Amino acid sequence: MEPLLRIRGLCKTYLMAPEAGARQPRRVEVLRGIDLDIGAGELLALTGPSGSGKSTFLNLVGALDAPSSGEVWFEGRDLFALDEAALAEFRNAAVGFIFQSHHLLPEFTALENAMMPALIRRVARPEARRAAREMLALVGLADRAEHRPGELSGGEQQRVALARALALRPRLLLADEPTGNLDPATADGIHGLLAAINGQLGVTAIVVTHNERLAQALPRRLRLQGGRLGG
Amino acid sequence: MRGAEADSEGREGEASASGPGSPGSTSTAPPNPTPTPTSTATSTPTATPTSAATPTPTPASTPAPPAFHLPAFGLAVLAMLGAPAALALVSALLDRAGAGPDLAFRLSLVAGALTAAALGALAGAVGRRVAFFEISAAGALLVAALLVGGVLLAPGLRSGTLPIGAWEQQGKLVLVLGLLLVAGAITTAAFVGSSLGFLLYGGGRFDASLSYELFVARAHLQLAPRTLLGLFLVVVTGLLPGLLLAMGISFVRALQERRAQAARLPFWRPRMPATLLMTLISIGGVAIGVWALTVVLSVMSGFEADLKSKILGARSHGVVLKYGDNDFTEWREVRDRVLSVPGIAGATPFVYSEVMLSADRQLAGAILEGVDPATVGTVLDLARNVRQGDLAWLDHPERIPLPRGTGGAEAPPARAEVLPGLVIGQELARSLRVFVGDVVNVISPLGDLGPAGPQPRSRAFRVAAIFYCGMYEYDSKFAYLGLADAQRFLATGDSVTGLELRVKDLDSARPVVRRVLAHLEGYPYRVKDWGELNRNLFAALNMEKVVMAVILGFIVLVASFTIVATLVMQVLDKRREIAVLRSMGAGTPSIMKIFVAEGLGIGAIGTAFGLLLGFGTCLFIDKVGIPLDPEVYYISNLPVRLSGVEFLLVALLSLAISYLATLYPATKAARLEPVEGLRGE
Repeated sequence: MEPLLRIRGLCKTYLMAPEAGARQPRRVEVLRGIDLDIGAGELLALTGPSGSGKSTFLNLVGALDAPSSGEVWFEGRDLFALDEAALAEFRNAAVGFIFQSHHLLPEFTALENAMMPALIRRVARPEARRAAREMLALVGLADRAEHRPGELSGGEQQRVALARALALRPRLLLADEPTGNLDPATADGIHGLLAAINGQLGVTAIVVTHNERLAQALPRRLRLQGGRLGG
Repeated sequence: MRGAEADSEGREGEASASGPGSPGSTSTAPPNPTPTPTSTATSTPTATPTSAATPTPTPASTPAPPAFHLPAFGLAVLAMLGAPAALALVSALLDRAGAGPDLAFRLSLVAGALTAAALGALAGAVGRRVAFFEISAAGALLVAALLVGGVLLAPGLRSGTLPIGAWEQQGKLVLVLGLLLVAGAITTAAFVGSSLGFLLYGGGRFDASLSYELFVARAHLQLAPRTLLGLFLVVVTGLLPGLLLAMGISFVRALQERRAQAARLPFWRPRMPATLLMTLISIGGVAIGVWALTVVLSVMSGFEADLKSKILGARSHGVVLKYGDNDFTEWREVRDRVLSVPGIAGATPFVYSEVMLSADRQLAGAILEGVDPATVGTVLDLARNVRQGDLAWLDHPERIPLPRGTGGAEAPPARAEVLPGLVIGQELARSLRVFVGDVVNVISPLGDLGPAGPQPRSRAFRVAAIFYCGMYEYDSKFAYLGLADAQRFLATGDSVTGLELRVKDLDSARPVVRRVLAHLEGYPYRVKDWGELNRNLFAALNMEKVVMAVILGFIVLVASFTIVATLVMQVLDKRREIAVLRSMGAGTPSIMKIFVAEGLGIGAIGTAFGLLLGFGTCLFIDKVGIPLDPEVYYISNLPVRLSGVEFLLVALLSLAISYLATLYPATKAARLEPVEGLRGE
């Protein structure tokens, strides 16, 4: 069966500004060829030391960035053969992102933040509001809908970010250290929520984490080191 | 939502049909709509993924859009060619249809701009970009072509409504500047079109919706009604009082803060975000520019209208003249025929000559016009302008009161004889030092044949009335007398110089006067309307107005620079947010729309403020009045005329400039890579 994600030979090389005296720009190889298949509905932990390329990997899978070489096939589609508009469509409806610092829009309420992907998709406002309320209820924040991010705790902010990521029922959820800024108890809550949502909605999730204890709790674990996948 | 997903899944299925068997083969054609060759063939060796040692030759496997889009460039070139063609075509069509040259010129300009914008929009949509490079290159080609073609070929061009011939007559420099202006206007129109095309069609399908973009833009601008009201008050009170008040408030706050610190009490001083401050400054700048533009244009229109009403009150709206000398004796029938033309309100015969007036030792040159007192009221406002005396005394010179002598009531008997009446302007009376009843000698150089050749003819008249029309030139130059007296004095027999006409609607004077000529079957008659009679004056006024508008337009232009600065700051401030929106699937046109909406919002609010202020100022000038020294300006109050069309044009100009100002920051925002914005934490 065709996996949800098929990653082949994924490489990413950054060109940095040349050091003093050097004329050639410096090459930094962040990812050095990654091959990976991820099936639909999997819940996967990605660990690794800082600078091992975890965030870069997530950005590539989410089509926020273009690889130096290699391919990412999502549901049988070569992502990087798509044009700009189709990529935007992919990011909008097929993927949901959560970042370490929640990246909520500070000017908007929790509900409006959760509505945003649907609004970008030109869903009518009442419909978007209904879907956003549903997701906020799912993450347990139905009563905080009218608060702005600044008025919410760190855990609540991350839950709003999760509701926003899930607003359009994506098939893939990419979480970049969602609990990195949270205390252990809150982090446990978020991870529990991720597992629950994975079971409930069947969304495939890749969770990048530093926390070995939390990673151990997930069914599949991968480790990135030196730009390659190990154990 | 479900439907849209099903649709996208359908497309996925189609794509996967060729893909799933061999992921290594890059047989799936990228859905690149443009046939330009791009380096997409990157068959990476997936069998040996650990080829870290070999350098990766291609930076990305995504079909990167070419830096210079050839089809878009082709369309841009078409726009540059199409706009002048449309301009010439429409102008020729209107010329044939018989529209006035002004109207035809304006309409053909609009047609040219629309053509350029439409083709530019096509370029933007096809190239999926704001085709900056493509249109600039095409514009440069146009400039070159126009300069070469215009300068070389202009001597051969004599278009009816296009001003190329007129420019050429004023010299090479004017011609070159005019052509550059045309090229600049066409290029700008194409830019506006292409950016609109990208905004509407850049995502690969037509999307004019602004729903969430406006939502986000409004949140970025943070303009609460209270803030706007405060800004409006600052601008309306003439900046200084408002700024003083703001400084006062700031000082009080600082004092409170100091006191709270001293008492170790917590004190939070609300600070205005820098972007909001910039936004307010931009709005104020646009408002002041629009304000100045509307007020100055209204005052200039006021001067123009004042002059027009004075000229057209004192002088006729048109004349019927006849070729040849002293044989316009059939004027009575001609007058009847003219009066039957629809649109003509009145007609009166006149005799015209230039003469010299003398009274005692004072001398003055004057224009002598013999008028028919019975019908002159249907054409000229002479009767209404009379300040002393009575126009009717032209027919009854015996009724003119004799001047009281300076020494007493008795008048010298020689002066008591009945002389024909003369009506002169107030300034003329002043320079001759005469009053109603005084005697004035009229001297015509074209006199009788005396023993030593032609001799000036002189005759005494009595001042029957003194008029004041408000135009110094007329009040100091014109002298009217009865038609019969004039004919006798100038020895023209029953002939007149022509007929003066009044039309019902001033603005249609030209077609009406043309109709009169057609009715009179042309030669030997000829006609002129007021525009032709006073061409120099109105042309100069118009020129002055255009130059003023251009100069004051620069204020709006400068204000638009603050819009650019504000938006650039806004973009830098919101990099993270832009990245997050992109990660949620917002396309580049959509990001661009947000910042275009912000800039247009600033421009629109500033324009609205400026129009309100301009309207208020004009009302003030009109109702309260700003006195002028009548000795200097020959007008007692600053005139002002509110014109809806002018206000509309100013608003459109200001909005167009604001829109252009948004393009650079908005494209900058749209070009931000999402990864960059997310990294900068």
